[in-house]
Amino acid sequence: MSPRRPSMTPFLRRAGRRRLAWLLAFPLALPLTFLLAFSLAIPAVHAEESLRYPATPGGDATSALVIHGALDLPQVRPLLDAFHRDHPQFAIHYRNLTTLALHERFLKAPAEADVLISSAMPWQYRLANDGQAQPLQTPAARRWPAWARWRSELFAVTFEPIVMVVNEAIIERFGEVRSHADLLALLERQSESLRGRVVTYDPAISGAGYTYAIEESRLSPRYWELVAALGEAEAALAGTTGEMLEGLIEGRYLVGYNLLGSYARERLADHPRLKIVVPEDYALVTQRLALVPRLAPHPEAARRFLDYLIGETGQGVLARETTLGAIHPSLEGPGTAAALRRQRGEALRPITLGPGLLATLDDLKREALLTRWRREFMRRQRR
Amino acid sequence: MTRGDSLSRRLLVWLLLPLLVLGSLMLLQAWFEARRTADRAFDRLLEAASLAIAEQVQWQDDRLWLDLPPAALEMLATDAEERVFYSLVDRRGRMITGNAELPGDDREAVSDDDTLLYRDVTWQGLSLRQGVRRTRLEDWQLREPFEVRVAHSREGRDALAAELWRANLAMILAMAALAIVALLLAIRTALAPLTRLRRAIRSRDPRTLAPLELRLPRELAELRDTVNDLLARMRRVRANQERFIGDASHQLRTPLAGLSARAELALRQDDPVRWREALVAMQATSTRTARLAMQLLSLTRLANPEYRPERAPLSLNAIAREAVREHWTACHRAGVDLGVASAAADVEILGIDWQLAEALGNLIDNARRYGARHVTIRVGEQPPSLAVEDDGPGIPAARRTLMLRPFHRDRDDLEGSGLGLAIVDGIARTHGARLAMSAGPGGVGLRVTLRFPGDTP
Repeated sequence: MSPRRPSMTPFLRRAGRRRLAWLLAFPLALPLTFLLAFSLAIPAVHAEESLRYPATPGGDATSALVIHGALDLPQVRPLLDAFHRDHPQFAIHYRNLTTLALHERFLKAPAEADVLISSAMPWQYRLANDGQAQPLQTPAARRWPAWARWRSELFAVTFEPIVMVVNEAIIERFGEVRSHADLLALLERQSESLRGRVVTYDPAISGAGYTYAIEESRLSPRYWELVAALGEAEAALAGTTGEMLEGLIEGRYLVGYNLLGSYARERLADHPRLKIVVPEDYALVTQRLALVPRLAPHPEAARRFLDYLIGETGQGVLARETTLGAIHPSLEGPGTAAALRRQRGEALRPITLGPGLLATLDDLKREALLTRWRREFMRRQRR
Repeated sequence: MTRGDSLSRRLLVWLLLPLLVLGSLMLLQAWFEARRTADRAFDRLLEAASLAIAEQVQWQDDRLWLDLPPAALEMLATDAEERVFYSLVDRRGRMITGNAELPGDDREAVSDDDTLLYRDVTWQGLSLRQGVRRTRLEDWQLREPFEVRVAHSREGRDALAAELWRANLAMILAMAALAIVALLLAIRTALAPLTRLRRAIRSRDPRTLAPLELRLPRELAELRDTVNDLLARMRRVRANQERFIGDASHQLRTPLAGLSARAELALRQDDPVRWREALVAMQATSTRTARLAMQLLSLTRLANPEYRPERAPLSLNAIAREAVREHWTACHRAGVDLGVASAAADVEILGIDWQLAEALGNLIDNARRYGARHVTIRVGEQPPSLAVEDDGPGIPAARRTLMLRPFHRDRDDLEGSGLGLAIVDGIARTHGARLAMSAGPGGVGLRVTLRFPGDTP
């Protein structure tokens, strides 16, 4: 709450207020607010960030290529640079949108964008399920691992584990935190000393947080123990990974739970005191899903780009120059799914790309889960 | 075997066509059956998913409440990655929750209990299979009806149907192949006797006319018997010919031997008067021989079935008068009275004039030779006929047919070739006329009548 960092105060204040207010506000939660909440790690401040690459007049006919992505510019720039180098005939316009804005914009103008890339997996899945995506029939698409695609319409292009961030101070005082079990034990033992120093997603306002909650609750009933423990420690609830990272860097929080690994790695590169932990017992893995809308104005360009994105070239760039994690099976080494699998093996739980995601979007389901979550979160506080 | 019209090809075509139609029908039926089977199998998924959803429906806060089990939706998608849709609809048809406003099913439920209706629907351009489960909440007091509608796209069904159909297709094709092989063998077996018959005929000595001895199926046995009949007729014809040739050479040999003997006899003498007598006799003999040769020639020509001279309209009266004119002198010299009895009206037939003249000449000649005093040529009108009557010794009825045989002579003492009546018979046959012999007028002599086929006016 330092006055020298005025930009942080609204987040904090809002988070604090929300913790009290959401109990009252929650029953009014409507589908729209849910949609609103699906802004992932991107801070909501920028109105419209975009990147433009002009087409170089060459032998090939030039074409426009409009990409809507929920992917920060530093992450997407190397990808687009490399693509534009190989295909200068495309005039690329990349708009960085929140997952919410991206989805709403698509529903309003389904023929505006050529490629949609979003981490809001259920929404992307729903679009494809409703027949809004067109298939990509290329050798690369056929070789793409089956678990990372749905039909030939929806492609997972990144591999981003959900991680914990632990301050070294905690490790020095209480020992290593390597898994969910470690975290639960730590929270239960040290709930007093950690009071208010733990931060996690608020599933009510964050779509990503809600998705993780639903997945984790399906994985094990012990998840509810963890929620109860978080409640007991009066964990702060945030809307985005960015918020959580800010608080951790400032030292307001000592433990962050369920952060998007790719953003954490990028932001915490020069904060050696903050340790990124990919849990050993299980680690959710989220993927950014790309699709070409059925009504894409430049389908040929769109297919070329998507093909590049799941090809060895694009995935190579993804592995080397971003923290997003490449899926391509032939890629090895740091920044790839293969490397992460070697390190964590069976513990990795990529979110299944299947109709189960549709259940995530069910309004009643959401209400039911959030009610349960709230009850568990408040259970020990009431005591 | 395949060139031109062929029995085996006909059989093949008429057996294969129905087979082909039948096969196509079977394939069609197999396709529908495969689809039905696939639908039955995949409808179980709709059933299970809708049940899993229905079981989670509760009454909460005065409304329907559903904690959607993700597994219920995952159940609906198989390896074919179907698109999946569901909705929960209350008693008033309002959608409580779901990812698609699926259409309802208007069909009446069979029973009031839990019912499940399947059908194919098109939703926003997607071809879907939908299952609608109508059920109700059974609470302590509450009985709230609701519907769970689930649907998925058809990829998995189509894949299964195609697979089932392909399996059937392989079987049907194999059966068709077997049927065709059997068909070919059957046709070959059925037509084998025909081949045997052909071989038997081809391998015969061309000179033999022996009947075919061959065991054949009934249909071909008839053919064989017909051929054998023909062969028998040909054998008879050839026998006739051989006898004719034998007779002819015999007939020619006798006068030639006579000539030779006469010449030899004359050469032994020196008297020119004897020579002259011999020459006169020899001339008469050689004239007779020449006439014999002429008759043989015309008989041969008449016997030749290939010889079909053009027939022209003729007046029988004119023919008769012409014959009288021609033979009158010779008859007169021999003291025979030759006359004609023409018909009142002119009788016309189609015929060959020189043949009829020859026939009349032969008959007149015969009558004269066998000692008739009066010979009359009679022309009849109804039916058209030519008759030669004489008052000679006649021929007993029993022997008349024999007279038609070449070289048959009633008496050996008289000169003559024995060909005359045979030639007349041949000419009659050429004209399609019937030759009849009867006693002459007043029961004496002989009457030979040629009755022409009647265009009776």
